Amino acid sequence: MITLEINQRQYQLDLKGHETLLEVLRDHLGMKGTKTACEESECGTCTVAVDGKATLSCIALAANCEGMKINTIEGLANGEELHPLQQAFLDYGAVQCGFCIPGMIMSCKALLDKNPEPSQEEIEYALDGNLCRCAGYLKIFEAIRHAGKVIKAQCEQASLLDRRN
Amino acid sequence: MKTATLNKEYVNPVGKSVPRIDGKGMVTGQAKYAFDVSFPNMLIGKMIRSPHPHAKILSIDTTRAEKLPGVRAIITAKDTYNIKFGSNEYFFPHTVDQMAIESEKVRYVGDEIGAVAAIDEEIAEQALGLIDVQYEPLPAVFDVQEAMKPDAPQIHESLNNIAVILPVNFGNPDRVMKEADYVREDRFYAPAAHHAALEPHVCVGQWETFSNKITLWSSTQAPFKCREALAKTLNIDLNDVRVIKLAVGGGFGGKLEMLPMDFASCLLSKKAGGLPVKICYNREEEFIASRRKHGMIYTVKSGVKKDGTLLAMTGEVIADGGAYCSYGPTVLAAAIMRIFMVYKIQHFRMTGYRVYTNTPISGAMRGFGGVQAGFAIESHMDMVAEAIGMDPIVFRLKNITGPNMVTINKMVITTNGLRECIEKAVSASDWYKKRGQQKHLCRGIGIGIAADVMGSKMYKSHESAGSIVKVEEDGSVYLFTGAADTGQGSNTALSQIAAHELGVSYNRIRCKSGDTEITPFDTGSFASRVTFISGNATLRAARDAKQQILDVVAKENNLNAAELDIAAEEVILKKDNSILMDFDKALELCYSFNYGRQIIGRGSYNPPTTPIDFRTGEGNVSGSYGFEAQVAEVEVNKETGEVKLLKMWDAHDIGKAINPQAVEGQIEGSLVMGIGYTFLENLRFDQKGRPANGNFANYRLPRSMGTPPVESIMVESNDPEGPFGAKGMGEASLLPTSAAIANAIYDAVGIRLKELPFTPDKIIKALMEKEKFELAAQASA
Repeated sequence: MITLEINQRQYQLDLKGHETLLEVLRDHLGMKGTKTACEESECGTCTVAVDGKATLSCIALAANCEGMKINTIEGLANGEELHPLQQAFLDYGAVQCGFCIPGMIMSCKALLDKNPEPSQEEIEYALDGNLCRCAGYLKIFEAIRHAGKVIKAQCEQASLLDRRN
Repeated sequence: MKTATLNKEYVNPVGKSVPRIDGKGMVTGQAKYAFDVSFPNMLIGKMIRSPHPHAKILSIDTTRAEKLPGVRAIITAKDTYNIKFGSNEYFFPHTVDQMAIESEKVRYVGDEIGAVAAIDEEIAEQALGLIDVQYEPLPAVFDVQEAMKPDAPQIHESLNNIAVILPVNFGNPDRVMKEADYVREDRFYAPAAHHAALEPHVCVGQWETFSNKITLWSSTQAPFKCREALAKTLNIDLNDVRVIKLAVGGGFGGKLEMLPMDFASCLLSKKAGGLPVKICYNREEEFIASRRKHGMIYTVKSGVKKDGTLLAMTGEVIADGGAYCSYGPTVLAAAIMRIFMVYKIQHFRMTGYRVYTNTPISGAMRGFGGVQAGFAIESHMDMVAEAIGMDPIVFRLKNITGPNMVTINKMVITTNGLRECIEKAVSASDWYKKRGQQKHLCRGIGIGIAADVMGSKMYKSHESAGSIVKVEEDGSVYLFTGAADTGQGSNTALSQIAAHELGVSYNRIRCKSGDTEITPFDTGSFASRVTFISGNATLRAARDAKQQILDVVAKENNLNAAELDIAAEEVILKKDNSILMDFDKALELCYSFNYGRQIIGRGSYNPPTTPIDFRTGEGNVSGSYGFEAQVAEVEVNKETGEVKLLKMWDAHDIGKAINPQAVEGQIEGSLVMGIGYTFLENLRFDQKGRPANGNFANYRLPRSMGTPPVESIMVESNDPEGPFGAKGMGEASLLPTSAAIANAIYDAVGIRLKELPFTPDKIIKALMEKEKFELAAQASA
């Protein structure tokens, strides 16, 4: 039995040694938000965050993630309020078929958590592992830039409040 | 309806970039795809595939596999009705050539000869290894030109493996060609490519054995077409088959047809006593056993006058069809006949050959023959213009089609914004400041133009779509459409059309689409037809619903319904726009004691076209036509052979943008797909007919790095036939991309590339040849 922490909740799981994080999420826990399009680490569709780092769940062994904080698309919104990235993807028309979007957003989040004001080069570099066949990336770039601004403003607001308190 | 949920911003939604109706599900992971469907007791199915490119099936022994614990069902051809299926059944009945499960012969590596279902994927895979098949290998042919030789292996019964010959002939090109001041011929090669939709082909089939009903949850682009093929091959009544399309992770033409997997999942379910069976392709199977874009050898010859008048054109198109016909014949027809929408040409002859090879099946892919043709024709046009010393813009403006004309093959063009598209693309890109002016920087600019249909009537004799708009007692509005949203946003656009016509907020609409048992018939998502055709059906359904509401309001108020309208959530008197009552009140009235009137609007639309005669190429294929001009600016690195795209411009006659942001999304996505085909994509096969690059590591797709900025320019020609003036537009933006880039590369460094994709080695080679040629010319001078 191992314990995995996924979206701040603990799960006790009886796993075979070779099972991937993707298999655990989709098949054991029924968390179907995370998709995959190749299962061999080429498309980025299965990206989740492990200890804040964008991680390909199709090649990450679940057992190796014990003790780490795993975050998936299902845990991104704050209650009913969408995460700024989710809202920006909607507002900027960055979503077409939606299949790449959970992985894409998780990669974007890992980038923005480190740097809410990435340059165009940094955005393109961070997303180069995530395939999108519908949208041609341009609206995704716009959405990230906008979400970064919102996140930065939120952080500034929060630190202002902290100082006041 | 609770007013708190209504957003006044979203009244009159046509022309506004409202958010996707299904967007929240997609950004939160809650959207449900066929990929995500799961049931208790669901079995996992796997296809049994041929390892040979061409072989006779001598025997299949499944005994060992059947004994494997966990295996629940195995099917082979003996369990089937041996009924063939195909996609050009209506126009080319002899091309219906594929069995869902082959019994006598296999024709490509991956051909399906059976299927297994087991309690999990591991056991299903294991079972595949326990099936004993005896084959007698036959000589195979992989090259399309080799396949046409008289002594080539015969794949089907067709002479020289030519499944279809399409002769398209108008006027007298041979005679007129002699009157030309300049004639040139060019030969181009456009390779096979793959859709590479991120969601693989996936289905869950369930055959309830006692009630004899089939349900298929599928990643299809055309649920009604899938239903038809399933009913036919499974020998069951159409109304006993239900195909349900959920969210679809991209299609691009690859999910237009029923595949053997769909057939197998249902039949396995029957054999397993009615348990649902899921079959999901892995990425390798996607490249082998779905569909691919036809590789084409495109030869074109033109004769022009000194003043730039295009007099005559002749040519030949050889299309590599792979093992079966699929949509091939009509793809070939489109590859030849698209030119009539773009150029006024009176004397024309082109012959197309759709040829079998022992490779995976070529079918429909976004652009439908137009991408290969666009590369050839638009590159060729630039060369012709240059040879007579004419600016490529001036040359095109002289020869393009215009509004309100009938083409030589009887296409009826009404609105046509092509001239405006070219002019706007030229002006936005600063064409005349750049063309020929940046060679010292190895920079260049090039153009390509294109036109597209919206609907094609290539699947059935009609191409109608139906819609139902139901308005409930609480004012909620349900739109039922058979149209299949595969990510392009048709549910959103159709909901906008319904809301706008009904006079209510877009927030009211709940859209149910693509379920063959619930929604009206629709031929599917292809040929850029949905906004135009399904949009027109939806417009009519909303109009009908509105009329029913107004009839009740008029009666109650002793007015004539013709005096009333609904706009921005209010019932108004037309004469002075005064408000009579709000929409919710009107619905309360409809469902009140005295009236009890159910509001159910219906709409049907079939575009005004004429049948195409494929013996001549004559016919008005579409109810309207869309146009565009695309400009590319490039910088070539002469040392490495790499091309940097600096910027692209796409001016597009879309009639009217129902949702401008979604239109931009289609332009950008389509154009970037065109960039991939120009520089990266080429589905190759090894000497045994297996894909040489059938995975995402080796089949390279456009990624985020290097995506150029794209300026989308919308030209609104307001088509009188389109819903609110709209035309279809999802495919056109990748038709001229390769040529625009090729022409820009020529402007930059003076090389003409006639073989896609433009890899650095080809560019270096062409640069070296050019240098050699120039040195030789200098030496002889």
